[in-house]
Amino acid sequence: MDISRREFIRRAVALGLSAATAGTLFSLLSCSERETPATITVPTPGPPPSAPPIPAPTSDPQPSAPPVPAPSPTPSPEPGHPYMAVARGKSPTAMVQSAIKALGGIERFVKPGNDVIVKPNICVAYRSPEYAATTNPEVVGALVALCMGAGAKRVRVMDNPFGGDTKQAYMRSGIDEQVRTASGEMEVMSPIKYKEADIPQGLDITNWPVYSDVLNADVLINVPIAKHHSMARLTLGMKNLLGVVLQPNQLHINLGQRIADLTSLVRPALTVVDGVRILMNRGPQGGNLDDVKQANIIIASQDIVAADAYAATLFGLTGADIPAIRAGAKMGLGTMDLSSIKIKEISV
Amino acid sequence: MTPVSSSKKPAKTPKKWQRIRQAVQILALALFLYLLLGTQQGSTTILPHDLFFRLDPLAGITAMLAGRSWIPALALGGATLLLTLVAGRAWCSWLCPLGTIIDWIPSRQTRKYRPDIHPYWRQVKYFMLFATLVGAALGSLTLLIFDPITILFRTLTSAVLPALNIAVTAVESWLYDFRLFQPAVEWFDGLVRGSLITEQPFFLPNLIIAGVFVGILVLEAVRPRFWCRYLCPLGGLLGLCARVSHIRYKVDEEKCTSCQRCATICTTAAIDPQQKFAANAAECTTCLDCMEVCPTKAISFQGQWGSKAYPFYDPSRRQFLASLGAASIGAALLWFIPFITRKEPRYVRPPGTTEEQLLSKCIRCGECAKVCPTGVIQPGASAAGWDELWTPTLVTRLGYCDYSCTSCGQVCPTEAIAELPLKEKQRRVIGVAVIDRERCIPWADGIECSVCEEVCPLPEKAIRLDHQGRGRQRDRNAVQRPHMIPERCIGCGICEYLCPLNGESAIRVFPPGEDQHTV
Repeated sequence: MDISRREFIRRAVALGLSAATAGTLFSLLSCSERETPATITVPTPGPPPSAPPIPAPTSDPQPSAPPVPAPSPTPSPEPGHPYMAVARGKSPTAMVQSAIKALGGIERFVKPGNDVIVKPNICVAYRSPEYAATTNPEVVGALVALCMGAGAKRVRVMDNPFGGDTKQAYMRSGIDEQVRTASGEMEVMSPIKYKEADIPQGLDITNWPVYSDVLNADVLINVPIAKHHSMARLTLGMKNLLGVVLQPNQLHINLGQRIADLTSLVRPALTVVDGVRILMNRGPQGGNLDDVKQANIIIASQDIVAADAYAATLFGLTGADIPAIRAGAKMGLGTMDLSSIKIKEISV
Repeated sequence: MTPVSSSKKPAKTPKKWQRIRQAVQILALALFLYLLLGTQQGSTTILPHDLFFRLDPLAGITAMLAGRSWIPALALGGATLLLTLVAGRAWCSWLCPLGTIIDWIPSRQTRKYRPDIHPYWRQVKYFMLFATLVGAALGSLTLLIFDPITILFRTLTSAVLPALNIAVTAVESWLYDFRLFQPAVEWFDGLVRGSLITEQPFFLPNLIIAGVFVGILVLEAVRPRFWCRYLCPLGGLLGLCARVSHIRYKVDEEKCTSCQRCATICTTAAIDPQQKFAANAAECTTCLDCMEVCPTKAISFQGQWGSKAYPFYDPSRRQFLASLGAASIGAALLWFIPFITRKEPRYVRPPGTTEEQLLSKCIRCGECAKVCPTGVIQPGASAAGWDELWTPTLVTRLGYCDYSCTSCGQVCPTEAIAELPLKEKQRRVIGVAVIDRERCIPWADGIECSVCEEVCPLPEKAIRLDHQGRGRQRDRNAVQRPHMIPERCIGCGICEYLCPLNGESAIRVFPPGEDQHTV
């Protein structure tokens, strides 16, 4: 033997390492723990734990039919139109179409070539539509379809969820799918577009960073869902506008007045309150199907205060019970006196 | 020794291998960055996003040693060891992304051969390696903070990308004020936001992480590849294997003119002019630069069986044992001292892990921090317990644990964070929120505020608002105040994150008093 001890150790180590490596590679081939194209999956919550989901109304003959703009004989605003339209029925799409038609057609609000933004309530990424935490996707889809049918240049739909990823929230709410089907765009609100804006009529806040595209759009359509809210009591159209500002949490101090102040700056041309399913308790996120009530109603008006006041009645309240509505009416942003306005009630 | 003509310009030979190697380096770094950026919710990468950690044998060996378990995903490190047995430390100059970046730092160009600062410096990397291994054997992975792959990943994730987010957003925001630029800015923003730019907040202690990285680059001024030559524990491990590698540097002494070009170009100074231009196989990174620079083609890389006498800067047995002993004592102290002072968890941790689990399983890679969509997971830095340095912690004022997300458990290469099913995660208690009534707006100032209650994601909220009084006596005009229901709280921290107070939140999440449990 002419090898030194050191040389022997060296060879032994080499042999050992080779064996270990070979074993490793072999074991790799035999047990591949994860599939190679690694996808970091977005977990989907299973079906609701307790009660089965409330079946979405499906009696609509063409639930996801392409946009059929309600043919309106009077495309221009006429004083003869009702101040508010309230549609009741089984199909969200049909309710939206008939309510808008009763107001004089979407052409009253959207002109060809307009840049339209639709603002639903997509508050979190955790809840599917049956929990009534987010605006009914069919209602949003129907509105987008109407706007596109009226010749809008583009229709963007956006919200800024406070909980969870925005894209996931868009998808889980079902709104993403409906909007795409109706040829609209979902926009993830970019931090670069919030610009400090003056609120000249504001009583509590006189300026705030607001999403500039919302202020610059030709038409803003506000599509809240009617929900219980612990402090505001209800969250409706005016409260829904908190989704277009930076740091909406900071507005929760003196909330009612601040909502009204913001409403004086951000003026939707049309407010459509989704009352297909409403959240009676534990709002604004819910999470219990027991708290969801099938109300099957759509309220549409160009007056955000009036629409909210009507929606309050779904919860056995009046506009005067809700601080934001009270403050809005006082500032002259609209009326909460439902007896003074012309309301058209439709059943479809 | 024949006189050296170092002033003569090297002949312009086509540097084929150098170009090939640079191309491979760029591709490997690009793959590293692609996989890093692909570590994102809902994204799919063509290769496993943690490929480089799987290929890292140091991470693999130590994680399996400390965790006392076989981790199949990390067995791929064996391939790197095999590569080293065949071709020496080629990993270092061909594949290592940190090595590539170091190569790009313009270090002081030398026209003359510069010997080592001191050959003993070479021992430091073995000391690092032994300390890391002994620590792992004792159940602590603390020293993996010096693994080159974790260093680069952690720096990019925790310092570079958050800084990039702030810078790009500021510039875009400013340009967006000009109507002329708006379409271009909008287009660019849509391109980078969500992929390159994510909503990662900058956690100030991460400056230390950036500092380590910058330090490694600054050391280039002392000697090229200072980190790789003297310090890198992975380099030490591969160096041990490379001593018996098959393909090795060989110099034909008859052709050699002792021009010293090879020794001058060698980035790790593996070639020793004093030893007839033989190379130290443990230090040679098989970059092949010497082969191409040699004017007489005296240098070749050939398969060689058996081992001739190499002029290793070989540790004597005594040195070897001394460094092993010092490493053991150091590692034992590291592991032991914090252990006796630890009484209860000090940090809120991601769901699916415990402090003990993190100590012995977390390789400090930063994958969880990268994938976290809210940026709540940050590398923990605490003077009190540096054994858990840069393990994932939840900084609930910077972000919150998303109620519908299980990403951190999905990406963890060592299962230090278990992959929980969503339902399980939504019940896993990681902390508990406590309201500070001295600061809370309704409690302290009598002004209404309900943000914490509103944002609580639980179907049965852990915060309730109450008027004073009960039933008919309830004063509807009085301000509602938040109350905790601690047994419901899972510690996600969205209440702390969104509390509208400036500075510290009036509701804060603390680690649970006992071990994690579910509600």
